[in-house]
Amino acid sequence: MSKPISRTIYWLLLLCMVVYSVFPVYWMINTSFRDPQTIYSSIDFVPSPFTLENFSTLLELTDYPTWFMNSVIVASGTVVVTIILSVLIAYSVTRLQFRGKSLVIGTMLYAYMFPPLLLAIPLATLFVQIGIPDTLLSLIISHTTLALPLGVWLLWGFFKQIPTDVEEAAMVDGCSRLKAFILVVLPLTLPGIVTVAIFAFLLSWTDYVFALVMISSDINKTLPVGLDTMVGLYELRWGELMAGSTLIALPLFVMFTFLSRFFIRGLAAGAVKG
Amino acid sequence: MPSNRIIYVILFLALAFTAVLVLYPAFYALELSFQHRESLVSEPEWVWFANYTKVLAMPEFWQALGRGVIFAGLTIFLQIVLGIAFALLLAREFPGMPVIRGLAVLPYLLPTVVVALTFRWMLDGSVGILTVAAKFFGYDYIPWGEDPVLAMLTVVIISVWIWTPFVTLTCLAGLQSIPEELYEAARIDGAGPWQRFWHVTLPQLRSVLLVVLLLRAIWMFNKFDIIWLMTQGGPQHATEQLPVFSYRLAFEMYDVGLGAAVSSISFLILSAIILLYFHFFPLEQKD
Repeated sequence: MSKPISRTIYWLLLLCMVVYSVFPVYWMINTSFRDPQTIYSSIDFVPSPFTLENFSTLLELTDYPTWFMNSVIVASGTVVVTIILSVLIAYSVTRLQFRGKSLVIGTMLYAYMFPPLLLAIPLATLFVQIGIPDTLLSLIISHTTLALPLGVWLLWGFFKQIPTDVEEAAMVDGCSRLKAFILVVLPLTLPGIVTVAIFAFLLSWTDYVFALVMISSDINKTLPVGLDTMVGLYELRWGELMAGSTLIALPLFVMFTFLSRFFIRGLAAGAVKG
Repeated sequence: MPSNRIIYVILFLALAFTAVLVLYPAFYALELSFQHRESLVSEPEWVWFANYTKVLAMPEFWQALGRGVIFAGLTIFLQIVLGIAFALLLAREFPGMPVIRGLAVLPYLLPTVVVALTFRWMLDGSVGILTVAAKFFGYDYIPWGEDPVLAMLTVVIISVWIWTPFVTLTCLAGLQSIPEELYEAARIDGAGPWQRFWHVTLPQLRSVLLVVLLLRAIWMFNKFDIIWLMTQGGPQHATEQLPVFSYRLAFEMYDVGLGAAVSSISFLILSAIILLYFHFFPLEQKD
């Protein structure tokens, strides 16, 4: 095959791949800006007229803003708890000598293989028994359960790479272990911590299964489950539904644009279980 | 050293907390599967293996298992083929390539709910863009909600769309670590593009692909959300695999014991497959 022909084929294939990957996303955004009157009568590849009507209906007439806040609370809670716990565990496991170390790490990975429903069913029963069913707290706990194993696993890899000499030198210079940890080790592992934070955020922000099982009242729903219940309530008003979908995806797109380096590391490590 | 003692205490507390969060639910699931309850809050009655024998005697269980294998098998195969192809396309370096890579990852970023709604809108029976496309080819609409085979194909294709970027990214990382000399040597030996792919690229990707295959298999076998959101296991159970079956038992028929038993069995099957897999393809074997 001659050079120009194979080059043309390459660009065509690349174009096909981009269209395949992007089209549904483009279609979602396109629909969200269209006039709700014309959505059902014509196909438009560019919204004309361009309108924010779907967004204003969504934000004024539905519980969407409440669900958005709930999602923000749950995702932030999950990120904070996951980071604290996984930093503590990963650091201790790499720096301390004790029996059963490899067991801790092995269990973490094994826990990652549990079918989500195998965790969801007992957690739901547990939350009923300790009196916090149908709360945002119960969701934060559930999401942490999902995010923690991989968080520890990822950070363990990071802490392992930092030679103990670095902190020991600091400790010889008069730092306490805590101070050495905060001043020397944490800055070096910051990329890993950002990766874990992103990954925990993604997992919590996009989770449907646990929110479906744990939450039953409308005011405590998070975005994914809330949006899905709208399908039944509003008789498939696709303009509003696509506006809602676009708004859920927006924070992810923004984060991805600015933090893509960390994002790709987290994604490749298997963030967003699935 | 006093500071060491503090670290030990912190470690102990963090591990205890984790054990409660991660391990307790798993053991509790096992306990639930040996019990019968009238509802989530009623007193448990120990029935030991009754839930298991009951589940194993249900034809629905075996059908769901079979469908799960078909769903997982098809999605994994397509994801890996497409993922390798995309990674090969994305492996070249030129200005703008990072943006194209970002676009290729896009599907993986979206929450499953968003993907499900978007595809349901595109498949809408009257004005969905895919329906319009089908009309162009002479079909009235795509009966993905009524035809059992089409329903399965739909969830398979959408799953492949969402999760291929995971394979693409890992394979891309693998491709970038293949030393250029290997290709040079193959070229000098007169190998064409296909031969270079079969004899250099694929063998070099082997260890990456083995891990990817394992992780994809675990996740696709446990997949619940995309199927539930698209078809709820329908039409006539055509897309109901074990996770959907287990969810319906636990939360629609309110038999938590049966649901937990199905989940536990599915976990056992998965563990057995993983053990077999490690037996035949030990991950440490490379080099």
